[in-house]
Amino acid sequence: MKKKILVANRGEIAIRIMRAIQELDYEAVAVYETPDKDSRHIRLASEAVLLGDGPRCDYLNIDKIIKAAKHSGACAIHPGYGFLAENPDFAKACEEAGIIFIGPTSEVISNLGNKVIARKIMAEAGIPMVPGTPNLSMGEDGVQEALTFAGKYGYPIMLKATCGGGGRGIRLIESDEQMRKEIPVARAEAKAAFNDDSVYLEKVVINPKHVEVQIIADKEGTTIHLGTRDCSIQRRNQKLIEIAPSMIGDKELLEKICQTAVKAAKASNYTNAGTVEFLIDKDFNYYFMEINTRVQVEHTVTEMITGIDIVRTQIKLALGKPLSFTQDDIQLRGHAIEMRINAEDPQADFMPEGGKTVSLYRSPGGYGVRLDGFVYQGYTIPQVYDSLLVKLTVHGFTWSETVSRVRRCLQNFDIAGPKTTIPFYLNIVEDPDFIKGDFNTSFLDTHPQLFEYKETSNEAEKLSKLIAEIHHHGTNPYAF
Amino acid sequence: MERIIQGMPPSEVVAQLRKADGYYITNTARDLSQSDFKNRILLHTDMLAAPSRERAGYFSLEITGGASVHVDILRKQVDPFLKLELLREKMPKTMFQTLCRGVNLFGYRPYPQNVIRFTVREFAKYVDVWRTFDFLNHIPNMQAVFEEVAKAGKINEPCICFSTGPEHTDDFYVGKVKDILDVTGTDIILCIKNHGGLGTPQRIGQLVNAIKQSYPDLPIHYHGHNTDGNDIGRIAAAILNGASIIDASDSSMTGYYGPPPSLTVIQTMKSLGYTAIGLDEDAVIETSEVIRDQRQYYAAFESQIKGFQPTVQIHKLPGGAMGSSLEQAAKGGFLDKMPDILHKELPRVQKELGNYWSVTPGSQILWTTAVANVQGGERYGNPSGDLRNLLLGKYGPFPFYQPEEWIYEKVLGADWKKVMEEEGGMDEIEDMDLDHERASLREKIGHEPTDQQLVLYLQHPNDAVNFFKFEEKFGKVYVLPPSIFLHQGKFNVGTTLSFTDHYGKEHVIEIGPSMVNEGGESNVYLNVDHHQRIYSFVPEAKAGVAAAATVLSKEEIQTLAKNGDIRAPFAGNICEISVKEGQEVAAGEQVAMMEAMKMQTPVVSVIAGIVTTISVKVGDAVKPGAKIAKVDIDE
Repeated sequence: MKKKILVANRGEIAIRIMRAIQELDYEAVAVYETPDKDSRHIRLASEAVLLGDGPRCDYLNIDKIIKAAKHSGACAIHPGYGFLAENPDFAKACEEAGIIFIGPTSEVISNLGNKVIARKIMAEAGIPMVPGTPNLSMGEDGVQEALTFAGKYGYPIMLKATCGGGGRGIRLIESDEQMRKEIPVARAEAKAAFNDDSVYLEKVVINPKHVEVQIIADKEGTTIHLGTRDCSIQRRNQKLIEIAPSMIGDKELLEKICQTAVKAAKASNYTNAGTVEFLIDKDFNYYFMEINTRVQVEHTVTEMITGIDIVRTQIKLALGKPLSFTQDDIQLRGHAIEMRINAEDPQADFMPEGGKTVSLYRSPGGYGVRLDGFVYQGYTIPQVYDSLLVKLTVHGFTWSETVSRVRRCLQNFDIAGPKTTIPFYLNIVEDPDFIKGDFNTSFLDTHPQLFEYKETSNEAEKLSKLIAEIHHHGTNPYAF
Repeated sequence: MERIIQGMPPSEVVAQLRKADGYYITNTARDLSQSDFKNRILLHTDMLAAPSRERAGYFSLEITGGASVHVDILRKQVDPFLKLELLREKMPKTMFQTLCRGVNLFGYRPYPQNVIRFTVREFAKYVDVWRTFDFLNHIPNMQAVFEEVAKAGKINEPCICFSTGPEHTDDFYVGKVKDILDVTGTDIILCIKNHGGLGTPQRIGQLVNAIKQSYPDLPIHYHGHNTDGNDIGRIAAAILNGASIIDASDSSMTGYYGPPPSLTVIQTMKSLGYTAIGLDEDAVIETSEVIRDQRQYYAAFESQIKGFQPTVQIHKLPGGAMGSSLEQAAKGGFLDKMPDILHKELPRVQKELGNYWSVTPGSQILWTTAVANVQGGERYGNPSGDLRNLLLGKYGPFPFYQPEEWIYEKVLGADWKKVMEEEGGMDEIEDMDLDHERASLREKIGHEPTDQQLVLYLQHPNDAVNFFKFEEKFGKVYVLPPSIFLHQGKFNVGTTLSFTDHYGKEHVIEIGPSMVNEGGESNVYLNVDHHQRIYSFVPEAKAGVAAAATVLSKEEIQTLAKNGDIRAPFAGNICEISVKEGQEVAAGEQVAMMEAMKMQTPVVSVIAGIVTTISVKVGDAVKPGAKIAKVDIDE
């Protein structure tokens, strides 16, 4: 019997993982909640298990997923990203149930998921970090610690939930007065969101670049990196566009950052694939931010420039195989750009377009083009999940070739029904700073003109709808 | 003399008119569309005409205002502001003109001052000449518009509405001109608004002369209609007596009730030694040639009755209302009663109601009353809400005399004197909370509205929201020619339709087969830009069950009403629901408001009780006898 692997996720990443499973000649088991019953990730799996009506709570239900794995006879679980991917309890439950968790150990996830423990590990290993505090003491003592820290480093300062992540549980503090007011609020919020009211402080790096390093480690202790990615183009701390490698011209600096990432991974006894995130300030000082203990949405850009299938590697490592390549085998070739085509209206503060039906879906193809998606014509986007429709990743030999390719692909998309981020991206690819590769996390705020565009792509679709009505009724019901 | 170019300051325009050694022509395309094509001439046709109309050198192009703003969004599905913006691109030199109903703006009822000012400000960004009138010639009703137009640096063209009769003397009109000038100052153009095309050439010449005698420096713009076939005669008389500007339009589209052909005016006046200043005759001819071919697609909107109507001198219906009145008669099945209504009842009603000017919204009140009087049996037995408001003085004072007491009694009830005391006179209309309106529009359309969207919403709340939703669903449909947009019957399979969209992309749509599946669902196949698309339609019967109401007689409706079963008394639209389910109502209390022919009529409960069911919603079109609400008698 073929080995079975359960994919504890939905949407495009579930499909991405199933493809790797199938290429390894294993069978993929899908799970789903009722609102996802028409999702394509179910149809691509060998079998599918309905977890419940959800929404979201069943994808987050450890017991149900372990049960589904046992019931289907899966020997391993790939968690994807989001949902249970960075939940140490889930990794632990897998370990206890005798199911292979495709990712690092529960202990590593737990350590790195706790920002304060993570900072402690990194400090001991000599990894450069943004000045910060340990967990603030409770009550007035904590406030005094905060004010002392502020006195030393100055505002602005980030107040962060120790167990936060993915852009959540962060607030910007600009004065002593605000600090006093916000600490209890942040604690209450953290308690509600993460069931842990610990908070700490970090000095704010103003308008940094967000650069991260893909690392891979096997159980024998071999740890290598797959180069850098730049994920600076974000909205509300959520990434929109990612590129590989970073466009920073100083190759020695990038190499130093990669080596630091390897050191950080080793310091935390990391196994499997992970991402070490750094902030880089305007003077090219770099600071460790965190390690993401999962496959990233943007892993595709790294795959494009290295030729390494990260998900395939994840599975092989989890099944106990050693790395089949060395650091010297890794050659970075050309450039890659990934754009997240979301069903959102950028002009309405990226309001999600869930609930709408994709009445037309045509996608680009051709040389250097990769699509990771799950929508199809006739698909109704559930309102209860995220708005990612498809990831467009392109590869090119030079940066300018890559930008031209991504522009061409955006133009070749034809999506009717929901509004998407495509017209907004079409403005980005024409932006002189983007074309130069010159951007940091302030890019959207400093380029408001990117939001000025007309929704054009659906016009023929819309007009033909009226013509169909005129034809069907034998008269125009909107004119007579 | 040179033509007048868009952008010249009002004082310069007026100065040039004063020293003109000929006359100017305004192309009243809007009035032609309204009078002879039920307002349906599409932007597509106006865009075709734009280059040659621009070269023709008209004083102005009247292309917005009147009922057109409403019909633009209701039946042409075009944004009235976008229309002006697109035409401006093609016509940079020609001034655009509007027709504004003063305090009633482009609608049928008075608006609050802040809405009037906001609307004028937004439209004045595109409109250069503001022809403003009040159907009672009550000047305070126009003041806010005058002020905002002047502030915007645009040209005020106040009207004296013209009619015939013993009260309509030269002295009266010259007095009105004085009243207007007292308010506006002298840098204006005065319009003689002859919306019915009334009077003989001699009468018009005499009036122009009388005004010129008193105000030799005041440029006069004569506006007429060709309903009796003789507007060229009146135009000639007006020019011979000193009018500077006259109204006409493109010959290939002229009909019976709108403006006469401009080329005929030019030829007539040339033989009398008068030159049309700035006019390029070749371009005038070319415009007619360019759009001639489009006329066939508007056939459904041309008058039900063909031929001129010299009897307009008796019934005095304005040209702009002729088409819609005849349409209503044809649809209502009382076309045979038209001679009675037009030649006997309407003139009688006019006299009884004060012999004011038959123009919007006064003309609708007269018409609706005359029809109800003939159809309903009992004269003034079924008065509309607007007639009630007219008698209460809500629109302004009667200019000549008040109706007789028995009419007040019929319309307002036995205690009409008390009603007049309590409710009579013009209301101080409170300003609207525009921020609140903006927020409610935002909620309805799901995004922040533009100022232009808010302007449309303030005037026609339901229709504007429907239009915004239409555009979201169907796109910018003005790009479709009338041969598609107004197409009658199915297209032949294999027909290829091509057009360029708003963003400049060309598209080809080929009509494929249509099929009905087992469930009765129709599938229409279209080839859109070489890709097959399928559109599904559910069976009509299922979709429209509610609409299929029985038509009941007036007696049946009244009997049902006594049992608390409130039915629609006539065919129309529900424009307001005044009660909630479970609410107590008193006998005579309004439960809903219905609208037909732009006139609003309250639907009341004849018994006291509790509202148990409401069967309609705002915007529903109902037939006579359709269920509106159920009231259970209070025990």
